[in-house]
Amino acid sequence: MGKAKDRTGPLARRPDNSAFKQQRLPAWSPMLTANTVLPFFYLLALMCLLLGVWLLLTVQSTQELKLDYTDLGSCSECYELRKNVSYAEQGCRCKVEFYIDQTFKGDVFFYYGLRNFHQNLRRYMDSRDDAQTVGRESQLKNPSTYCEPFIKDKDGVPIAPCGAVANSMFNDSFSFNYQTSSGHIMPVPLLRKGLTWYTDKNIKFRNPKTGNQTLAQVFEGTRQPLYWQKPVYDLDPSDPTNNGFINEDLIVWMREAAFPNFKKLYGILNRAGDPFTHGLPKGNYSIQISYNFPVQPFQGRKLVVLTTLTWFGGQNLFLPIAYLVTSSLILLMAVVLTVAWWKFGKDGKNMKE
Amino acid sequence: MVKILYLLDCYPQLYCPGQLNMYFSKKAFVWCMLHSCYSSLVLFFIPWGAIQDTVRDDGRDIADYQSFASLAQTCLLVVVSAQLCLDTYYWTTVNHFFVWGSLAAYFAITFTMYSNGMFLIFTSIFPFIGTARNSLNQPNAWLTMFLTSLLCVLPVVALRFILMQIRPTINDRVRYKMQKDTLPAPPPRRPVRRVSTRRSGYAFSHSQGYGALVTSERFLFKRPIKSRLAFSVQPDGPLARNLPQVFRPIAEELHESQSSKS
Repeated sequence: MGKAKDRTGPLARRPDNSAFKQQRLPAWSPMLTANTVLPFFYLLALMCLLLGVWLLLTVQSTQELKLDYTDLGSCSECYELRKNVSYAEQGCRCKVEFYIDQTFKGDVFFYYGLRNFHQNLRRYMDSRDDAQTVGRESQLKNPSTYCEPFIKDKDGVPIAPCGAVANSMFNDSFSFNYQTSSGHIMPVPLLRKGLTWYTDKNIKFRNPKTGNQTLAQVFEGTRQPLYWQKPVYDLDPSDPTNNGFINEDLIVWMREAAFPNFKKLYGILNRAGDPFTHGLPKGNYSIQISYNFPVQPFQGRKLVVLTTLTWFGGQNLFLPIAYLVTSSLILLMAVVLTVAWWKFGKDGKNMKE
Repeated sequence: MVKILYLLDCYPQLYCPGQLNMYFSKKAFVWCMLHSCYSSLVLFFIPWGAIQDTVRDDGRDIADYQSFASLAQTCLLVVVSAQLCLDTYYWTTVNHFFVWGSLAAYFAITFTMYSNGMFLIFTSIFPFIGTARNSLNQPNAWLTMFLTSLLCVLPVVALRFILMQIRPTINDRVRYKMQKDTLPAPPPRRPVRRVSTRRSGYAFSHSQGYGALVTSERFLFKRPIKSRLAFSVQPDGPLARNLPQVFRPIAEELHESQSSKS
C-alpha cells in the first residue's frame, strides 16, 4: 500500500506515517525517584555551603568606610544654611575628619551616598530627554514635553539638559587630604574619569556637533537647569572630553538608582605617587566639602563611602549569608525527604495498587 | 501519545483525577496563588538584597534601576524555564528545541533591545542601552539568578517528592509501574491492511449492518469472496448477525485468513 495510492480517494488527507506526525518521537520521561532527588538535594546543599563560605571570605576581604556628613562637625552649619532656599546662591564649606586604622590595600573607590532620595520615582524618571543628551540638534532647543516643568525658564529659553533628573544633580564636591606621620597635610589624588559605563559615555551621551564652534557657542540659545550654578558647557572646561553632556559626574547622576539609599562613584584613588602606591595608608584624613546639596526637605542623609573591591563587588553580605541560609534549608529539606522516603516509599511499598 | 491512549485503556482509574476535579479546583487555585506569592517575593527580594549596596567589580554602577529591572527579569525567565522543565513529562526533541530556544530567544531579544542601534534609531523607546552588557557580565548577577532559581524551584520538587511518597496519586502509581516493568509495545489496535474482513471498523456496529444484504439471495448461494476490499462482510461473521465484533490479535487472524482461503 503505497502513499501514491492514498493521494486520491477517501484517504487523501491522511497525515504521513512519520514519527513526528504520528507522535511517536523518541522521548525521555523523567520521574522524581528517590535515587535522583535525594543525592541531588544533598549535592546542592553542599554546593550552596561552599559557595556561601567562599563568597563570605571574599566579601570579608574588602574594606569599607562609611561617613555620614550631613550634620557632622562643622557641616551642621551648612546643613542649617541649606534649609533655607533663599541662601541657595551662597556657598558653604565645611571640613570633616576621619581615621583609617587599617591600610586599604589595592584600588580604593570613593563614592557619595544619599539616603531617602527616590530616584526611582516614575514621574522623576520620565522627566528627561535622552534625544537631547545624545546630541540631536533638533532636540537641543526643542526638548521633549516629558521634561515639563523643567523645560523652559521663565523667559521661554529652553533648558539643556532638561528634566528633573538633570536639574537635581548632586553638586557637593570633596577634596581629600592625608596627614602624614610628620604632620604634613597632603592632598589625596583622585582620578575623576573612568567613572561611567562605556556605553553611557560614548553612545548614550554625546555633545551636539561642534564643527568649528566652541562648545559654549553650540549651546547658545539654551540655559542651564534652574538649580545649577554652572552651565553645562562649563562643567569641566579644562578637559573637552569631560565637558558638556559627556561630563562624567552628569552621566553618573543621570543613571537613576533603583533604591532610595544608593551610592554613586565620585573618584578612584590615583596610586601613581607615594604614599598611595599600595592603597590608602592608615592615618588621619580630612575632607574639605563644598556643601551645596540640600537634603533636609526630604529628610535625607549624605554620606561619603570609601571601599576596596573584589570580583564580587563591594561589601555586601546579603548574598553570602543568603547562600549559607539556603544551604541549611536545603539540607533540612533533604533530611525530611530522606525520612519520608525511608518510612513510606522505600522499595515502592507506597506504590502498591 | 499512543502510549497515553493505551494507558487510559488499561488503567481506567486514570480518568478519576479529572472527574474528581483534582487539578482544577478551588484548592488547586489557592495552592497556585500561594506558590506565586512566594515566588514573587523571592524574585523581588533576592535581587534587591544582592544589588542594593553593590557595585561592579570595576567600581561602576550596578545598583541602578535599569540593571535591577533587567536582572529581575532574567531571574524570572530562568525560574519559569526551570518550572517548565519540571512540568514536562515527555522530553522529545521538539520540547528541547522550544525550551532552550525560548531562553536563547529571550537573550537574543534582550541584547537586541538594549543595543546601540536600537537606541540611536528609537531613542525614547529603548533607553536601556548597554544595560544587559554591563550587568550580565558580573558574576554577582549570575549567582543571584542561581540562588533565586534554587529558592523558587526546590520547594516544588520537594513537595512533589513528599506527596509521591506519602500520598501517591494514580498518575504516580501508573508511571512508577511503567518505569519498573518496561511494558511491551502495545499491540496495534487494528491493522491497516484489510486482508481479513473480521477486522473492519467497529463503527459498523453502530449502524444497521449488512444483514439484509448478506442474507439475500445474492450471497447465500455463492462462495464467500476472499476479499481485499474494505467493508465486505463474511456471511457467518458477527456483523452479519448484527452483533458487535470482537478483535483478535494478528497471529490468530492470519491463521484464520489462511483457513478462509483454502
